[in-house]
Amino acid sequence: MNTVLILLPLVLTILFSLATVPILVWMERRIAALIQDRLGPNRCHINGIRLGGIIQSVADMMKLVFKEEFLPSHIKNKFYYLVAPSLAFMSAFLTFMVIPYADNITINEKTYYMQALPTDLGVLWFLAFAGLGVYGIILGGWASHNKYAMLGSMRATAQVIGYEVAMGLSLVSMLITYGTISLNEMVTYQSQSFFIIPAWGIVIQPIATIIFIITAFAETNRAPFDAAEGESEIVAGYHTEYGAMKFGLYFVAEYIAMAASGALIVTIFLGGYQLPYLNTNDLINNFELVLWLIIAFAAVTSIIFFKWMKKHNIFEMPGLDEKKVYATLIIGFTAFAIVVMSYYALGFSEGSSVGVMILQFAIFTVKLFFLHFVFIWVRWTLPRFRYDQTQKLGWNILLPLSLVNIFITAIVVVGVNYGS
Amino acid sequence: MGVKVVERHGNTFKEKLYLPAIFSGMRSTLKHFTKNLSDASNIPTICYPEEKPTDITPRYRGVHRLTHRKEDDSIACVACFMCATACPANCIEIVATPREDGIDEKMPAIFNIDLLECVFCGYCVEACPCDAIRMDSGIYSVIGELREDFIYNKAKLLSIKGISKEEYSLGK
Repeated sequence: MNTVLILLPLVLTILFSLATVPILVWMERRIAALIQDRLGPNRCHINGIRLGGIIQSVADMMKLVFKEEFLPSHIKNKFYYLVAPSLAFMSAFLTFMVIPYADNITINEKTYYMQALPTDLGVLWFLAFAGLGVYGIILGGWASHNKYAMLGSMRATAQVIGYEVAMGLSLVSMLITYGTISLNEMVTYQSQSFFIIPAWGIVIQPIATIIFIITAFAETNRAPFDAAEGESEIVAGYHTEYGAMKFGLYFVAEYIAMAASGALIVTIFLGGYQLPYLNTNDLINNFELVLWLIIAFAAVTSIIFFKWMKKHNIFEMPGLDEKKVYATLIIGFTAFAIVVMSYYALGFSEGSSVGVMILQFAIFTVKLFFLHFVFIWVRWTLPRFRYDQTQKLGWNILLPLSLVNIFITAIVVVGVNYGS
Repeated sequence: MGVKVVERHGNTFKEKLYLPAIFSGMRSTLKHFTKNLSDASNIPTICYPEEKPTDITPRYRGVHRLTHRKEDDSIACVACFMCATACPANCIEIVATPREDGIDEKMPAIFNIDLLECVFCGYCVEACPCDAIRMDSGIYSVIGELREDFIYNKAKLLSIKGISKEEYSLGK
């Protein structure tokens, strides 16, 4: 049990970052298609099972892994050229390590943190590695010995430096508000209610939220701030000279960075793993009621999903009948979950806290995927900013705005603390 | 001379804030997303191999065909090399031979079109003085497994039928 609980956050980190990449690629393509009145990937299948097209992004990943590796002969610093994509990938991956997936759980009077790295300095770790990610890009652009790659990486670097400042300052105002630097305590703070609205970061600090979301888009080089790439003016950007899995690492790094920023936005501004009005103790004490609500929710969503499938899954594929397979899987999984949940609720002494932990993972996942949806949704709505526009926005608008925000926050916090 | 003064946009505070415009843009894309997610049947894409396009115009340049003479159904081509000369991709190969049956002086012994080289510009059709080569076959998908499958010879080109305007709109 000890080892399981200690390894669980690590496994979750790998799942949330690496294993979701095919799903994110699929989301990107499917949401793009639906926004643009198209259908998106729907043909690739394994014996009739298409998973709505996810099989195609899995096939894409396999293709990237098995492609031939080759080094362009003009590259002099082969070490830096090869180390650059892994640097981008590793820093994106390490950013994820400090995100709390659930509340601290106490079993047999021992407390376990649901963070891969149980540290209180989560925000600083995030800022450090989010900033380090751009080293992979600038190193790759420099080591490629290619003008276009160099230009792309310079644009990315200038942009990241510009936005790092505003991001750090908007975080400072959040640190002042919460009065703590530990991510877990920030989430605990957000489980309170503020009059009748939940005290989520987005409610108590809307300006810092907007600044942080904008800078998170810029830090991860996502549209509309993807100046590092530019098909029309700099060929492909910093990864012009990279092929096969070296390109794949950059590609995956972008998605992991997006997932990590999304996770931090969820943690700091959207209440983390908390439901509004319900803190962890409430959930643990009323766990049986919560279980019934979950079962009802699962039943309703499955019925809606089945109806949707019946209407939209109309392609006849050779092989298995997809609809029947999904129905069996969902019914089987729901039944299994109900059995496990009731076993824990009745038999196991710490069952309710384990159940609440699982529920909190689920809440976190739902919020994170909502954030992914927002990232993709923005990408297919807004056109790319021109380079000077990004610089102007970062230095002339976001930086002063975040400073003013810190000033106001400090006054309010001091006034509240010493006034009462 | 009337000078039309165009009003400059983007100077009010609301427009300079950008966020309202961004949110209205996101609302409109979300509307498309939810509409298509809840009802995919109105999406105008066609699922190509099963559904065929229905809007091909009669002027569409499909695979070439060689026409037949009205009188005796023999080949209309007189092997004048005009099409091969006009071809910018050099994809037409003609070997001429004297015509023994007295209908005309020459005819092609070999007439090959390499569809992998062809750019479907239609110059050959324009150049032909005898209306012997046409691109009105309506065939828009050419499929093969070998490079040789794409070299259409005289017999194959003669066997392709032209389709009528009505058949075009049906997307045959």
